[in-house]
Amino acid sequence: MAIKITGGIVYDPTHQIDGKKLDLYIVNDRILHQLPADEKVKQTYNLKNHIVMAGAIDIHTHIGGGKVNIARTMMLDDQIEYPQPGDDHRHTGCGHAVPSTFTAGYRYAEMGYTACFEPAVLPVNARQAHMEMADTPMVDKGGYVLLGNDDFLLSLMHESASQSTINDYVAWVLHASQCIGIKVVNAGGIHAFKYNQRRLDIDEQSPAGVTPRDIITTLSRAVHELGVPHPLHVHASNLGIAGNFKSTLATMAAAESLPIHLTHIQFHSYGNEGDYNFSSAACEIAEAINTTPNVTADVGQIMFGQTITTSGDTMMQYFGHEHAHPKKWTVMDIECEAGCGVIPFRYRNKSFVNALQWAIGLEIFLQVDDPWRVFLTTDHPNGAPFTTYPHLIKLLMNRSFRNDAFSIIHSDAQKMSNLASMEREYSLYEIAIMTRAAPAKILGLSDHGHLGEGASANITIYKKQDDVEQMFAKPSYVFKNGELVVKDGSIIKTVRGVTHTVKPDFDIEIEKPLKRYFDDYQTISLPNFKISADEMIECIGSEVVTHPCRI
Amino acid sequence: MRFNHVTCPHCGLLCDDLSIEVNGASLKLASKAYPNCLKAFEDASFTTKRLPSPKVAGKKASLDAAIKKAAKLLAASSQPLISGLITDIQGCREAVLLAEKSKAVIDHANGKGMQANLAVMQRYGKVKTTLSEVRNRSDLVIIFGSQIFNRFPRLSDRVLFPKTSLGNEGTINKQIIVIDSSQAAKGSIPKRKGITYCPLEADSLDDIIHEFLQVVNLDSKRSNGNNLTNKLLEIKSTILQKQYTTIVWNTGLFNSASAEQTTQSLTFAMKSLMEDVRCVGLPLGGSKAEITANQVSTWSMGVPLPVAFMGGIPEHDPVIYNGENMLQNGEADTLVWLSTYSPDDLPPKTDARTIVIGHPKMKVPSSVDVFIPVGIPGVDHSGLACRTDSVATLPLQKIRDINLPASSKVLKQIADLV
Repeated sequence: MAIKITGGIVYDPTHQIDGKKLDLYIVNDRILHQLPADEKVKQTYNLKNHIVMAGAIDIHTHIGGGKVNIARTMMLDDQIEYPQPGDDHRHTGCGHAVPSTFTAGYRYAEMGYTACFEPAVLPVNARQAHMEMADTPMVDKGGYVLLGNDDFLLSLMHESASQSTINDYVAWVLHASQCIGIKVVNAGGIHAFKYNQRRLDIDEQSPAGVTPRDIITTLSRAVHELGVPHPLHVHASNLGIAGNFKSTLATMAAAESLPIHLTHIQFHSYGNEGDYNFSSAACEIAEAINTTPNVTADVGQIMFGQTITTSGDTMMQYFGHEHAHPKKWTVMDIECEAGCGVIPFRYRNKSFVNALQWAIGLEIFLQVDDPWRVFLTTDHPNGAPFTTYPHLIKLLMNRSFRNDAFSIIHSDAQKMSNLASMEREYSLYEIAIMTRAAPAKILGLSDHGHLGEGASANITIYKKQDDVEQMFAKPSYVFKNGELVVKDGSIIKTVRGVTHTVKPDFDIEIEKPLKRYFDDYQTISLPNFKISADEMIECIGSEVVTHPCRI
Repeated sequence: MRFNHVTCPHCGLLCDDLSIEVNGASLKLASKAYPNCLKAFEDASFTTKRLPSPKVAGKKASLDAAIKKAAKLLAASSQPLISGLITDIQGCREAVLLAEKSKAVIDHANGKGMQANLAVMQRYGKVKTTLSEVRNRSDLVIIFGSQIFNRFPRLSDRVLFPKTSLGNEGTINKQIIVIDSSQAAKGSIPKRKGITYCPLEADSLDDIIHEFLQVVNLDSKRSNGNNLTNKLLEIKSTILQKQYTTIVWNTGLFNSASAEQTTQSLTFAMKSLMEDVRCVGLPLGGSKAEITANQVSTWSMGVPLPVAFMGGIPEHDPVIYNGENMLQNGEADTLVWLSTYSPDDLPPKTDARTIVIGHPKMKVPSSVDVFIPVGIPGVDHSGLACRTDSVATLPLQKIRDINLPASSKVLKQIADLV
């Protein structure tokens, strides 16, 4: 039996459909454009004055893993302030900045999201990250596994191992951790921090005898040569430091024209000019993205209010701990792989630096020409909780709303930003690109993020409203894999979602040096380090879907 | 049949290099024997083909009947308490959902003991490290309490005395300082090169640690003829000369009434030292699955244990909802005791109706209303467990099939009926 969706205005950038009336059918979990002869329509949704898009996809959101649990522990007041009562459909939970897993899934679905990707999965903590994601219902999930500060890779590089050996290791880690992408956080910097080094610039040799640039170059080549669809996902060096835009540009160059994704680039787009020695370099960064087709970025917009920052970047989190609000912080070194730093923050519009950070994020959104290469994120929860996305969309789509908000931030920050002069207003088509079509494309999810024939029936339908913040906050209908799960912004049915992965080919011989490494140095054995697809289903609780790599 | 790379969930270190010979229902540790793991696998072994049966009111019952009775007791309860939680992640996941469904309070058997580290994390955050990091990076390890060697016997071979290391010579031949109160019983400190035993003149480890914080923080704190202060000044000076110092503690060795303040002092000391050098903490614990249970509660409900669900939302209050106190004060009328790793982890004595989902060799008191023997995670079914450092999650293999149900399945069936 089929469901018919008719009368709605469809935005499907993957198929260049920009606001066109189009009928869609849902048969089982797939979208069809024609009703098959042997099917009958059991239910019709007449969607006059509604907007139809694919389910939204968040490519960078910290929703699972040990660091999130540390953040939940440290944010008890926030958890208490935001309870989530349970009902017949939903488990109870709590939290705004770092919600409990069930609550996070409900909040995403209520906003029309159908897939979310955790960008910092430590290999040794991958089981926990996947379990937390498995307990995040409603949405599909996936993870980017952290490399670039792990002693095994750094040793390989220091010993000038061949690129193919490194490729085998990268592929092996993707298999072992059941992830879909590779993430680098402050390449070499987390490792250097373990040697009490407090800063590591892009061309500085680390205690491991390699430079961050070498690491970025090597890993971006590995990801490319393995055919992994998602480019190397890079949290660049010097996060949060005035003047860091230069190392961000150098990081882009380190990919040597191969695909590279710069994440939460707002935090890496700072100059050091002006009375405060802190200025916007959004123009330089946007220009670099515009002229460098191999580069994509998500913004990591900050929003004013209380949140908590969770990051693998121990070096820069420790640097920032004096700004903690409330005054508490956690820094942790982890298993010769990486680390994590967790620090609560309250971004204030009357703080010069916070106000300018806010403006810099918006300046980047508005100055990057191609919406296929800039993604809507707040680096949840680091810039702001993901529930602020509808507000962010309004800031992008409505210049007068944006300028009103700009007019009340710290006056010196206003003087240091040209945001008010920017006339661009994002269209619904562009929003659909940056929240649906482009994320699916950059992750290699061929049947997601669009409404084409045969696509997964993940569909979000909004009642057209002048106030786009309200519109995007509360869709009329959300279908997940063909099932109606949200109606008028409320969950009516809970579903689990799957885990998206890639499994590039590799030479199993890499397990010989890996076995020596585990036997000699690690406190877990190699067989127990690897997560199998069976374990994902039986113990962790999520079905694995493997997407093809480019050949 | 021999199974290798078996994980031992019987202390927080979760060593995963055990070999177990399985012959029917009988288990034998085939790798080097350490007391904790040896006993645990002996306890898990059956020499008879007769498996324990579920019991209702002390009489044999079918599994279905026991599950139905448990659900009935829970449904009739005005204030259930789910406790124990000495089990794997899957068991804890289902226990949390059962607590939610039955509007219970859920707490760990060692609820009070967990609070010191937790409260300090909540209020101040921490500086921490993990086992492999200590093994490879640390050139100085300071251990507060020699009894740690008794509680975590494999800390030595797994972490403190590596044959090889990713770091320099100093990380292989670590300097290890073991500090005790002079009044404490000396633990089983290995006789190895590099270990210095320091019994210090103080009433307790707690007093030593508070003085350590003073020594770290006050530049003006000079040698004063006090042996305790002088020794701690010496240790501070050593820390400042080393590359990577790890401080090891177990809150169970602190005075229970002041464990939180003591942990706080340690944390403050490490955060101060971090301004100049690397100095990190390795709290040891989790030997009764405390870390596992707490991680599950924190991610699924947003708050750590204990959690109360009476109001329809998760409420965390370690004082009001402490399970042990609730039972003592008669504030719970029905107890679900979940304990699957050892027959010795019995439910506390209580007047409350009691449902035990327990280790198959557990000899429960006759007052228990429902006893459901279940499989041992890592023996009778696969599972997952969290290590003491809260980072590594280890798989528990299924190595035997004698048809014992997993606690998670039993709990889910009960929840479906409540």
